[in-house]
Amino acid sequence: MNNLSDMIWIELRKAIRSRMPLWTALGSLFMPMGVALLILLAKNPELSQKLGLISAKANLIAYSATDWPSYLVLFAEIISAGGFFFFILAISWVFGREFADGTLKDMLAVPVQRSSILLAKFTVVTAWCAAMAIIILLFGLVMGAIIQLPGGSLSIIINGITVATITVCLVIAVVLPFALFASVGRGYLLPMAVAILTLIMANMMMVVGWAEYFPWAVPMLYVQEESSLTPISYWIVIFTSLAGMISTYLWWKYADQNR
Amino acid sequence: MNMPIETEDLGKCYGDVRAVEHLSLRVAQGEIYAFLGLNGAGKTTTIRMLLGMIKPTTGYARVLQTKVRLGNREPWESVGYLVEDPHAYPELTVYENLEVTRRLHPGTPPKAVGQIIERMGLGAYASRRAGTLSHGNAQRLGLAKALIHDPRLLILDEPANGLDPAGIVEIRELLLELTIGQGGTVFMSSHILAEVSRLAGRIGIIHEGRLLQELGIGELEQNRRRRLLIRVRDVESAHRTLIDAGQPAEILQDGTIELKNTFSIECPDDINRILVNGGTPPTQLMVEEEELEQYFLRLVGMDGGLQNE
Repeated sequence: MNNLSDMIWIELRKAIRSRMPLWTALGSLFMPMGVALLILLAKNPELSQKLGLISAKANLIAYSATDWPSYLVLFAEIISAGGFFFFILAISWVFGREFADGTLKDMLAVPVQRSSILLAKFTVVTAWCAAMAIIILLFGLVMGAIIQLPGGSLSIIINGITVATITVCLVIAVVLPFALFASVGRGYLLPMAVAILTLIMANMMMVVGWAEYFPWAVPMLYVQEESSLTPISYWIVIFTSLAGMISTYLWWKYADQNR
Repeated sequence: MNMPIETEDLGKCYGDVRAVEHLSLRVAQGEIYAFLGLNGAGKTTTIRMLLGMIKPTTGYARVLQTKVRLGNREPWESVGYLVEDPHAYPELTVYENLEVTRRLHPGTPPKAVGQIIERMGLGAYASRRAGTLSHGNAQRLGLAKALIHDPRLLILDEPANGLDPAGIVEIRELLLELTIGQGGTVFMSSHILAEVSRLAGRIGIIHEGRLLQELGIGELEQNRRRRLLIRVRDVESAHRTLIDAGQPAEILQDGTIELKNTFSIECPDDINRILVNGGTPPTQLMVEEEELEQYFLRLVGMDGGLQNE
């Protein structure tokens, strides 16, 4: 693991100068803003009635988030589904851009271990996803305070933050294998397509009752109050994450690089 | 003898397509070796195999006495390279791109970035984003990335691509300085024989994945076809005079008389005398040497070399 700090510097510099973290952070803010707006509309029937369809959706959201505990659960659910896509965007960009921009070849015949380059990429992606999650969570708490949700206490908020944090960790873990799809697909399209497929599969697994064994369904199950998760589910997530990273390493090390 | 590049029976197949086959090369220390071929001849595939980016189907390559293996750290500390089009991170400046390359070569001092910017004439563009550079300046940046860590061996794929005439001269001088001045070695690919003939000591010609010929620059001069072209007022009489004198003259479509034998090429004054004595003095007498590109195309079987026009 030589030169890891230099490799992290490189990945951070590339990410920051691209402004992608800024755009994904701004994009992810729409989730708490949207939820807060819908709850606000539901609380003000006069305003919501003028908006027709939105009113119906707002009522649905408001019904599921009438107080702080349910609002925080809703947030963890948002992170497990919506955050998933933003995280995929981040990992697709960090890995896929080297192929899309044709810069991969400049990293291949260099006196730095490929494991250091990849570890730096995974570190930056994880930090990027965690930063997005923190922004979503903080913004969500502020919005919750603004719309004056009832039933809030320090312990409830800490409990909600803990659930959200574990959800974020689970989502990041199942997102890391998408580095392999970005590498094999040599760009952004394959990971995005697989992301859609995994969400469809996760929902199908929930219908047939095998969701606890499907790693990409585990974060969604975790936030549900009556979760069917077992320790095996968490092991499957850890295994999927490690297998994804190791496969990415093997692919970078042994696959022919023609671009 | 020290051979910075050696390949033995190197080959690469993609399914049924043989991109490169039976390639055995030796590039000596301090040499500029030009690897010449048409587009798709197998030049880039060879370079990628030399750089450990793709795995050979047959044979092996040694670079700086180290057997090249996919994903290894060795021997890249002393190797600089440029493969195909120069790419850089478009949102990073020229300086930042070079800083990235510097950090990918541990041990390269920070001042190397400023030095290479100056050496490659990129000073005016140092704080400009790489995505906004012209193709010529992007090529300079690519070469700067190859040279930043002072490599002993340079592997360059079409290094003069996109450069203006002044840039080509600069690169030529730079490569000569690296080899003659510093004892470094250069392996460069090109599809323009005229360009490499001014620079390379040895040329390897690859076609359809096979090494057709390896020759020194002196041999290149010898191998090129020459001919004596004669213009006269009375073509038929002049032709008859030459044939009668035992010279294998031929009349081209435009009425020019062509002689390809060594005597005619080396003694055009004697041919002139034969024609004057025969009463058909020439209006023009010229020894023409085969163009380098014609020679190259003749070698790869895509042209007849000096043809009868």
